[in-house]
Formats: sequence, structure tokens, C-alpha cells
Amino acid sequence: MKRILIVDDSFYMRTMLKNMLTDAGYEIVGEAPNGQTALELAKETNPDLITLDVILPDNTGLDVLKGIKAEQPDMKIVIVSAVGQEVIVNEALENGALSYIVKPFSEEKVLEVVKKALEE
Amino acid sequence: MKSREQEYKEIFIAEALEYFDALNRLISELEKKPQDDQVLAEIFRMLHNLKANAKAIGYLQISDVSHKLETAFGLIRNKELSFSDEVVGVLFDGIDLLGELIKSIDSEQQVEIDPVLIRNLDIIVDSLSDSTVELAKVQKFSTSRNLTLSDLIYIQVKKLDHLMNLVGELIIDRDRILSLSRELDNDELKMVSSHLYRITEDLQYSVMDARLVSIGTLFNKFPRVVRDISSAEKKEVNLELSGQDIQIDRNILQIMTDSLLHLVRNAITHGIEKPELRAKAGKPKAGSLQLSARSDRESVIITLTDDGKGIDVAKVKKAAVERHLVAADVADSLPDSEVYSFLFEPGFSLAKEVTEFSGRGVGLDVVKNAIDSIGGRIRIESEKGKGTSFILQLPTSIAVKGALLFEIDSIFYAIPLIHTDSVVALDKDELHEVGEVLVADIKGETVTVVYLDELLNMEESQMRLGDKTRLKGQVQNIIIVSYNNRKLGLIVDKLYRQQDIVVKPLSKPLDSIDLYGGVTLLGTGKVCLVLDVPAITKYFVNKR
Repeated sequence: MKRILIVDDSFYMRTMLKNMLTDAGYEIVGEAPNGQTALELAKETNPDLITLDVILPDNTGLDVLKGIKAEQPDMKIVIVSAVGQEVIVNEALENGALSYIVKPFSEEKVLEVVKKALEE
Repeated sequence: MKSREQEYKEIFIAEALEYFDALNRLISELEKKPQDDQVLAEIFRMLHNLKANAKAIGYLQISDVSHKLETAFGLIRNKELSFSDEVVGVLFDGIDLLGELIKSIDSEQQVEIDPVLIRNLDIIVDSLSDSTVELAKVQKFSTSRNLTLSDLIYIQVKKLDHLMNLVGELIIDRDRILSLSRELDNDELKMVSSHLYRITEDLQYSVMDARLVSIGTLFNKFPRVVRDISSAEKKEVNLELSGQDIQIDRNILQIMTDSLLHLVRNAITHGIEKPELRAKAGKPKAGSLQLSARSDRESVIITLTDDGKGIDVAKVKKAAVERHLVAADVADSLPDSEVYSFLFEPGFSLAKEVTEFSGRGVGLDVVKNAIDSIGGRIRIESEKGKGTSFILQLPTSIAVKGALLFEIDSIFYAIPLIHTDSVVALDKDELHEVGEVLVADIKGETVTVVYLDELLNMEESQMRLGDKTRLKGQVQNIIIVSYNNRKLGLIVDKLYRQQDIVVKPLSKPLDSIDLYGGVTLLGTGKVCLVLDVPAITKYFVNKR
């Protein structure tokens, strides 16, 4: 079973993502509500994939992305963003993010993106 | 019963109200330091989350207003809009409106959105920093400001356990007071104690309700488990889960965890065949395992179904006869459902090989005991070649009782405290053989004394309850129980301790004399039978 770390500052979003992913048979190894915890958990749990919200209370998702990639270059990261953040998403993709999910997302979309990213 | 939608809604509201409170605080800060980037980023982040969450759950008014505010603050952050007095007023109004909308989710009342406010917001958002913009005066929709705290809190299980234990103790005292009020025959006391009874009962159910969790919290651990076991067994297994939203007491789920794990392991190692065998039998290469839950009035039904080789009834019969569990001629005429029940006998196993995951020796009796301990039932349906189902019927919630624990022949038993009078130690010489029973003089009262080991463990025909020579040792530990003003002394090997236990009725009478009122699971995981004092007392009354 693939192990996933969820990074999102909204408890609601984390719960939705967690339910969708666990229902689909993934294991959620951790939930980070901010960038600092995300960096720590990424190292500690070494997941197969990270879903990363682009707006976090302490860092931008982009900083977190770069931070994780610096330590774990092969880490698979999927960006979770909202409409209107295309600039950040593009920059994230240039910095090694595999794909992105746009909020509000459907279960199908999340699972499709995650599955594809894990296969890469 | 909470559905997932209900849970999402509660989480959304709780989080949204947190954001609302924080936004009010932040915008006040911003008023003092209009260009504080950190404060602006925080406001922006919260509105952004509120928008996304509201959109996801379908509260479009909230997402729409959040979006407008987010845009406005985005403009302020990019210095395209100044944080002037006029603008501040509109933004405050907008945040207030958000608060109203969030609070209205749970009430019937619809919030009337003032179109002037929306227009003002639109003007701010669309016109950039045009100082000539006229902002209309907004009729305040909310004149009285209410302070609101979140409706949702998180709580540790141990706190709920503590609460449940306290309820348990309260119930013991309540029951004592209730019986005292009857003894004293005081009307006022009777009235108060019956009120106390209702309130504690209500309290007990409220605490039980607070302990309910989604069964998914356990089910969702199984995809990984199934993957690990099936890959070690070199089998292909597809797991299908359903009914994760069903609610059940957290501790019942905890007790069932090992049993379900055991059943799932069994299904993969002994049920589902290797891919090549499946192919030969014309089945799909990958086996199917379904784990489902549904609620049925007071119970939760968990079903585990595999499409494996099924149970060989003839083999079970043969093993049962070899173990002298049943005579060969009787075994032949038993219906399958009764044959399957042999599988729950201690140490009964058909497995020949020991594997990493399903070692021999630990049989289904462990599963059965765990289910008995919470007052559940388990049954098996199977068809040779087609597969097997384990159907578990579990109570949704649990009940607490105070009990005295003791040991006979190294096995734990419990007596509900409500029937326990006192505990005495008597010398063997103080017990007298009178007819078929022993009696003793206890505090001036002649009390029938029963050697429990003999009563519980001997065949009725060989029982010698009036025979002192069967007693072990010189000093006898005796629990004096009372029921209906009748006292009875019970000789036990060793007294253990007093404890709150969770009693559940047995699914069927254990034998012809029904001496057990239920069964419980101790903190150590040991199963413990709870004596039915009324039944034992009646038994001796009839004997006389």
C-alpha cells in the first residue's frame, strides 16, 4: 500500500483528502498543517507521495517543495491549489512537482492524479 | 448516527468559525498597521481556505463572498488598493456577512444578503484604487454582535474512558441508593432515587454516544494488511470495503481489532487459493475479500466474505469426532451451521501448515471469546468451493457495571457488586455439612455456602456440594452475595479486586443450569464470566 503525506492548513481539506485517499486504499502517514511540520514529516515518514497545498501559514508551498526536494530529490509531490494560482503552480511544476489538483476537487480527479503520479 | 456528510459539515463550520474569529482579529490589527505583510498574508490565506472549503462542500454564498474579500485583500497586498477608512468599513461588513452566513448553516434562517454590500464589494474589487468611487451606506444587517466559539472539540479517548468509568461508579452508587430507598421505605428518598436513576441513565447514554466512531477508522487499515499478507502468501487478493460510515463504540472497535485481523489473515491464508489453483477451478486469478458493515437496530453487523475454497464440512465433522466433541453418528446428522460452531472450540484448527501470518494453535475460539466479551455473536456461512462468510453481530455501545473479580482454578470470574454483601474468610471447621449443602454461621445468620469450583466445573450428577473433603486448604474465602433478601456464601480460590466491568449478555445459555449473567473482557484481555447471582440463588432455593 502506498503511503501518502497530506500537507494542508485547513483541517476540512485534510479530512476530505484523507477520507478520499484512505477509502481508495492508500495509507495516510501524516498530516501537516504548516510548512515546518511538512518538512519534518516528509523526512520522518519518507512517504511515497506528498500532496502539498500552495498556501501555508508559515511558508509558501513553493518553499516547502524546494525544501523537501533539496533533501529528498526523488520525492513525488502533487500540488493542491485553487483557481487563480496558475503562476505558483507553474513554478512548482518547474521545481519538480509532478502534477497538480485544483480546489474544489472531485474524488475522481484526486485519485486519478495521485495514481498517475505514483506510477511515474 | 453521524454520516460523513454530517461530519464534513461540522468540521467545515467549526473551522470556518475559527477563521471568522481570526479574520476579525487580523483586520483590527491591519487597521493599526495597514501594510503589515504578515497580517495580510494570514487574512489572504484564511479567506482562501474558506473559499475553497465552501466551494467543496457547496456553500456557494460563502465561497462567493470569501472570493470577493480575498480579491480585495489581494489588491491591498499588491498595493493596488489602499486600506482607507471607506474600504475598511466595507471589508468589515463583508467579514461580518461571512460570519452570519457561517452561523446560518445550522439554523433554518436564511441570511438576507444586502445587495448594497455586495455592490460595494464589487466596486472595490473591480475599480482598483479609484478614489472617486462612491461607496453606498450599508444597512447593518447585524446590529447585535454575538461572540461565538467553535461547536466542535477534540477529545482524547482516555478522557472519555475516564468519564465512562465515573458513570460506572455513579451507577453503582445509584443502585445502592435505590436499594437503600426500598429497604428504608422512605417515599421522599424513593422519589429522589428514581429521579437519580433516570438522570444517570441519560448520562450513561450521552457518554456512550460521545464514544461512537466511524467503523472506517478500523476498516481503512485493512488495505495495507491485506496487501502485506497476500504478497507474503503469494496470492492475489482484491479487498472491497463498504459501510465505513457506520458508527460504533470506540472500545468495541478496539476489542474487535485483533479478531478482525485474525479473520482476515485466516481468509487469505486458508480461504483464498493460490492463483494457479483458482485458475484450475475456473475462478478469477485474484481472490476477492469483502469487508462490510451495516447497522441493524442496536447492532452493527460486520461481514467478511471471501470467494475461496470454503469450509469442508466433512473434515470439520471428522476432526470434531476425533476430539470427542461429538459422537460420530450424531455428527452425521448435524446441520452445517452446527458443524461450523465446532470451529470455535478451543484449539480447534484444520490448518496443517504454520505460516508467518496464521500460526497454528490460535484458533477461532479467541475470536469467539472476544465477541462474547462484548455481547456479540458470530456465525459462519460457507459453501465448499465457493467461499466463506463470517458474520459478526456487535452491540453499538457498551454498558458499565461494578464487579468483584475472583479466581477459581486459575480462571477469572466476576460478581456484580450490586449483589455482593461482604467477603469473609472462614476456617474449614466453621463450615457444617447439612444435607446436600454446607452452612455456616455468619454474623449470627445461618447461610448456605457453596463451593463454586464444584458448582461450576462438575457434572450435576457428580456434584457433592455438601462434601467438605472436596475443599482445598484450611481457610476458605467466601463472598457473601444476596438476592431478594436471601444470602448465599460462595467459596472462591482467590479474591482479586473490585473493578468496573463492561457486561454483555451471553449469546446463548452456556449449559443447562444458566449460572452466568454475561461475560466481560478484562483490561488484560482475559475473558471473564460474570456470575448471575439471581440465577444461582434461585437454583439453591429450588434445591431446597
